[in-house]
Amino acid sequence: MTEMKRVLVAMSGGVDSSVAAALLHETGHELVGVTLHLWDADGAQQVGRCCAPEDRDDARRTCEHLGIPHYVLDEREAFRKHVVDPFVADYQAGRTPIPCVSCNRTVKLTYLADVARRFDATHIATGHYARLARAGDGHLRLLRGIDDEKDQSYFLFGLPQSTLERLVFPLGELRKSEVREAGRRLGVPNASKPESQELCFVPDGRIGDFIERQGTPTTPGNMVDSRGEVLAVHEGVANFTRGQRRGLGLGGGGARYVLRILPDRAEVVVGEESELYDAQLRATDAHWIAGRPAEPFEAEVRIRYRHRGARADITPNGTGFDVRFEEPQRAITPGQAAVVYRGDEVVGGGFIA
Amino acid sequence: MQEAAAIAWANPSSTHAAGRASRRLLEEARESVAKVLRASPADLVLTGGGTEACNLGIRAVSAGRRRIVSTAVEHPAVAKSVERIERQGAEAVILAVPRGRPPSAEALAAHLDSDTAVAVQWVNHETGTIFPVAAYARACRAHGARLFIDGTQALGKLPIDVETLGADALAVAAQKVGGPAGAGACWVRRGLDVEPVFDGGSQERGRRPGTPDSASMVGFGAACLLVARRVEAQPAIAALRDRLESSLSELGAVTNAAEAPRVGTASNLSLDGWEGALLVAALDLEGVCVSTGAACSSGLHEPSAVIRAMYPDEQWRARSAVRISLGFETSPSDIETALHAFQRVLARKES
Repeated sequence: MTEMKRVLVAMSGGVDSSVAAALLHETGHELVGVTLHLWDADGAQQVGRCCAPEDRDDARRTCEHLGIPHYVLDEREAFRKHVVDPFVADYQAGRTPIPCVSCNRTVKLTYLADVARRFDATHIATGHYARLARAGDGHLRLLRGIDDEKDQSYFLFGLPQSTLERLVFPLGELRKSEVREAGRRLGVPNASKPESQELCFVPDGRIGDFIERQGTPTTPGNMVDSRGEVLAVHEGVANFTRGQRRGLGLGGGGARYVLRILPDRAEVVVGEESELYDAQLRATDAHWIAGRPAEPFEAEVRIRYRHRGARADITPNGTGFDVRFEEPQRAITPGQAAVVYRGDEVVGGGFIA
Repeated sequence: MQEAAAIAWANPSSTHAAGRASRRLLEEARESVAKVLRASPADLVLTGGGTEACNLGIRAVSAGRRRIVSTAVEHPAVAKSVERIERQGAEAVILAVPRGRPPSAEALAAHLDSDTAVAVQWVNHETGTIFPVAAYARACRAHGARLFIDGTQALGKLPIDVETLGADALAVAAQKVGGPAGAGACWVRRGLDVEPVFDGGSQERGRRPGTPDSASMVGFGAACLLVARRVEAQPAIAALRDRLESSLSELGAVTNAAEAPRVGTASNLSLDGWEGALLVAALDLEGVCVSTGAACSSGLHEPSAVIRAMYPDEQWRARSAVRISLGFETSPSDIETALHAFQRVLARKES
């Protein structure tokens, strides 16, 4: 790693990135705070958390507190093109996308790498809970954060070595409670701010409403069982994800779950929970942190952010890979990321087809 | 201003001794401002800044008129005011300023009649472009149209004489000549009715309600004492500006709006391959303060609306535009410092 001189800190206005900045500042690094303006919150969402002007104000307050420069840079065009538009298209195609992966890879960290160069900064720090370690072959390895609950390595599998070389994760070795404590100790102005769990551009979590606001027409259709029997009508496939139980509007009877989404026919297929289990998946658009493995291998695979990971055989193929689990997994969902771990290490990942 | 603040706390409309002392300071300030405009003090409405002065002046000239003519490169204080008048039912005609070339008086005259008001800036706030306002005033007179001039950027750069200029209203602001941000003035031709921008008491002869801020006005008055010196320094400032622009052009910078006369204090440059906001930040880290020209309260920099309007077919210019401001405080060594910072920063464009 090159010697760390000036460090660009990506500041969202949240606690984590603020504390990351404060910790680096405490160790005496020269910092430049940068907040990316990615999206304009609309209407009532403006008082929400991320993407609201108050988040930028919080980032600025933290920088003022630390006595470091702070700049807001406009990346709305790229965010719409590379994150929001594909997000909407994915939902309409019956998938459940994971926009944070493409945002990190295509928008945020790529752009910040360019900004860092122009600011003469050697490194970029973020508030992600993840770690980096240099392996014997000289390549960097991406590792889980120490805090199992907060670990965000799942979202970072798409980053190339050239980006990893510039990255610094000051929170990777800390637990969330330690981060909050550090925030209070260092006087970070927003240390007790509530955490955001939702997507930054859909702070209320109502994805169906969001997609409608983007002006994309939603097609009502039928909710059917596995035999094609119509059970109800729905307002559009974008309101559903595989394994979903709530909000199906089916009234009484036993619990039913979304099994499949058929966007071409605007159909949502529902059924028993037992029908949600599969032992294999195919992932596309793979990225391998330290190069594509030549041979099939055994590892753990996480199929969504909150998934603990399951033993599986992984076979790289072309630009993707096939996964065969030891035990069938519940609700393997197209559009989500399948991320391959060997212990704490992220080997790579792809998107579930 | 600090001395004045000790006296000017009192309401200048009050009869008691403290109020009278405050009133005296206010009136001395008014005289000082009037002097640099060659206006009669009684014809000045003192305001809380340039934006208010522009709003007031535009309302005065446009009251009861069917059409308002303006340009595509006005400051928001004028542009938004014109939009309001349009919403209220007037026809708005917005003249283009291609490549920074102001409309000729003849082009303006084509839109004028006795039911028209004109609202234009004297000097553009981002490029320093000088508009031929004296010729505009003659055209307006000839057609019975009324003329408001946004003079905020002209004060301290060009000599102003409202008596010979022939306009109907003219706005200025203290901030642009080294005074405080909260002080401005609108000169209005005697006999033209002025409707206040907001409702309240009858201060400023019923033209501007609210207790006048004597302390800020004292600052404005004091700043006006240096206006003549600022104007005299223009040729020297322009020489520094030209030196900066020719050196920066060797580094790939393209000067915007260079085809028409400009004041010496402004230089607007575009650097292909950079976003203006990024360049401003990178230079700031090197200790050089420039701006993109347009900033909103969130601190987010939008591409310059002025440069976009001047170069509608060359979007890269607006996206990468930065505005460099020079003043009579700027020394040749400041120019060298800025050039070196530009050299260091621009070298980082390609990896």
